[in-house]
Amino acid sequence: MVIAGLSYLAGAAFIKGNMTVFRVCIVVLFAILVFVLIIRASKFVGVIIQRWIDQLIYDHEGTATMPEPKLTKKKKWLAYVVGPVVGGCIIGTYYLSMEGYIAFKYMQPVSALYLVPFLVHLYFLQRPRIGPLVLICPILYTIHAILIVAGVPIFFTGNLGILNMLLPVFGYTFLAHVICHVYSRYALKKLKGLTHLEGDTANGD
Amino acid sequence: MEIDKIIHEPARLRVMMILAGIEQADFNFLLTTLNLTRGNLSRHVEKLESAGYLKVKKSFNGKIPNTRYQLTQKGSKALAQYWENLDTVRRSGQS
Repeated sequence: MVIAGLSYLAGAAFIKGNMTVFRVCIVVLFAILVFVLIIRASKFVGVIIQRWIDQLIYDHEGTATMPEPKLTKKKKWLAYVVGPVVGGCIIGTYYLSMEGYIAFKYMQPVSALYLVPFLVHLYFLQRPRIGPLVLICPILYTIHAILIVAGVPIFFTGNLGILNMLLPVFGYTFLAHVICHVYSRYALKKLKGLTHLEGDTANGD
Repeated sequence: MEIDKIIHEPARLRVMMILAGIEQADFNFLLTTLNLTRGNLSRHVEKLESAGYLKVKKSFNGKIPNTRYQLTQKGSKALAQYWENLDTVRRSGQS
């Protein structure tokens, strides 16, 4: 919400020619991106946030965790470098669109060129803690980009141009999370179907 | 060849099987997944722990105690051996 609001404000400021507000918004947006990436990459903060979310949604049924991904030092540092680079690319795409070098129509397809590999890279980085269902997000993002290039009018123009990237990113991420949640319910139900026994047999000797 | 009686009990076998597929699970997860009573689950995990098959980690989520269980290497080996022995018994029964 904060990112969407700031992006909209930056877009409106740019169109009205208020470059001070525009630059402040860009700097704050970049700072937020770096902050989010640091939190995501930090084991300590990441674990606390994950536990908080787990408790909020799944507390009544307990928690089970998959093994942590085994990251080499090289891979860890790669995560720290790739994140800010992608953040820079997002801001760059946004800036170039505002300057008129990239048509609003092509904002999303251009961003797909780096966001899709980044999201796939994140998946491989966090396996087996996260499953392949999260790949729904980059797949849908790619389909969205292909449809735009093919001429399907699924994009915004004018003041709402910034939503060309934001809406698919947050929309498809949210959708992937909802699908993962529904799948986890299904998997748990299936597991209970296998492990539930009745009466004395259930509780054993 | 002998079947491991600690694992052979249905409730304990289910605990071991669940933990074999994940990194760790807390008491509530095992309770809801296995449909056991609290007392029975405690008793079963204590037996598995004393056999060295489970590692118990106790912590607090705020003020609420949280107990998590993890299969030890010894536990993983014992479970694999259990399935192997069971297969041998099945094969010898068929021949």
